[in-house]
Amino acid sequence: MDDRALRAGHYLNQFFAGIGGEERAGTPPRITDGPAGPGRAIQGLLGPGGVVVSTLVCGDNYFNEQIDAAVEAVRGWLTAQRPDVVIAGPAFAAGRYGRACIEVCRVAADLGIPAVTGMHPENPGLLMYRQAYVVPTAANAAGMAPALTMMVRLARKLGGGHPAGPVDEDGYLPRGVRRPGMRARPGAQRAVDMLVAKLRGQPIRTELPVEGYEAVAPAPPVTDLARATIAVVTTGAIVPKGNPDHLKRCSETRWQRYQLEGRRRLTADEFECVHGGFYNVPASENPNVVLPLDALRDLETSGTFARLADFYCTTTGNDQRFADCVRNGKEIGELFWRERIDGVLLVAT
Amino acid sequence: MISALPPLAMQAGANRVVQGVKIEHVCGDPALPAEEDGAVRRRLVERGLRALTTAVDGPTLFDGAELR
Repeated sequence: MDDRALRAGHYLNQFFAGIGGEERAGTPPRITDGPAGPGRAIQGLLGPGGVVVSTLVCGDNYFNEQIDAAVEAVRGWLTAQRPDVVIAGPAFAAGRYGRACIEVCRVAADLGIPAVTGMHPENPGLLMYRQAYVVPTAANAAGMAPALTMMVRLARKLGGGHPAGPVDEDGYLPRGVRRPGMRARPGAQRAVDMLVAKLRGQPIRTELPVEGYEAVAPAPPVTDLARATIAVVTTGAIVPKGNPDHLKRCSETRWQRYQLEGRRRLTADEFECVHGGFYNVPASENPNVVLPLDALRDLETSGTFARLADFYCTTTGNDQRFADCVRNGKEIGELFWRERIDGVLLVAT
Repeated sequence: MISALPPLAMQAGANRVVQGVKIEHVCGDPALPAEEDGAVRRRLVERGLRALTTAVDGPTLFDGAELR
């Protein structure tokens, strides 16, 4: 073997490793030397320039039900083997396998080892870790050959220490990452060309795809408002005067919580608006026009609802990354869940 | 959600949306006398609370008709 041959580690589930189907899905992690199952085809695609040095196999149920133990097994395997690159799956549309492959990629990234997996774009595993390099595949193993070809091509590149090219060149699913780069022609020319092509009915390709929003199922209604605890949230950057936590005027990644206990309204002496995306003087002069504490207290006192949470949450809804928004929403939602909040009023500026 | 831009909020998937006043002052109108400004705010919050008690199938605008 060439000293410089690429050393690849491969992750497989029990099915593709040939151990068994659902009845063996509880198989704990086990390591074998060299390739197994589709790893043999990976070995063939790598040719003399690379070698599948080790394969980690784990049952899909084991991985998903004992996630901490499985992740530790992956970490131990990668720490011991130190491959140049990790290839996981492909998992096609299999959800548990997809989750496992994504977690393998996440652990590898933690250890500084590049990793590639493959799965169908609707595999729910994708939602667990967006930063993984995922080659889109067919829904089932009929698409094995093209999937492996693309995965190995990308694995060779990343494993060789080269950064991945743009999504459409290197054939992986968008990771929500944008990098600065040079184009041969200025943006104005490209934009006009795009417009002309569009007017002619020709196909165009945007340089700035808008991320699709996730459809969120409506929460069930609050059944008894008079007994409900209500919380208030705003993207309007209402903060204590002086902005003690340095909430940013734009591009904020975090959120903050502040006390409402003992207050009947927000005063300009104690609170201000630091949002940089609109004229914020009215909201600084009377913060209640963004965070309607006075009205909420009136309705609490009159018994329309039982209790207002004694804190509010805020961020700056201005030029935020989609991924940060999703994370903030999750974190705030989890906080409210713990605090047994029944309903939330979100004021979006 | 109380938003000055309900079409955007609904496009993004917000399920219960109340039309606010303006981006700069979603819950009120500083141009009005304090009492009227407070009444506007209270009406919007009431509408938001009413929205929370209403079952919806998807993005829905609460325009106040349900309070009349």
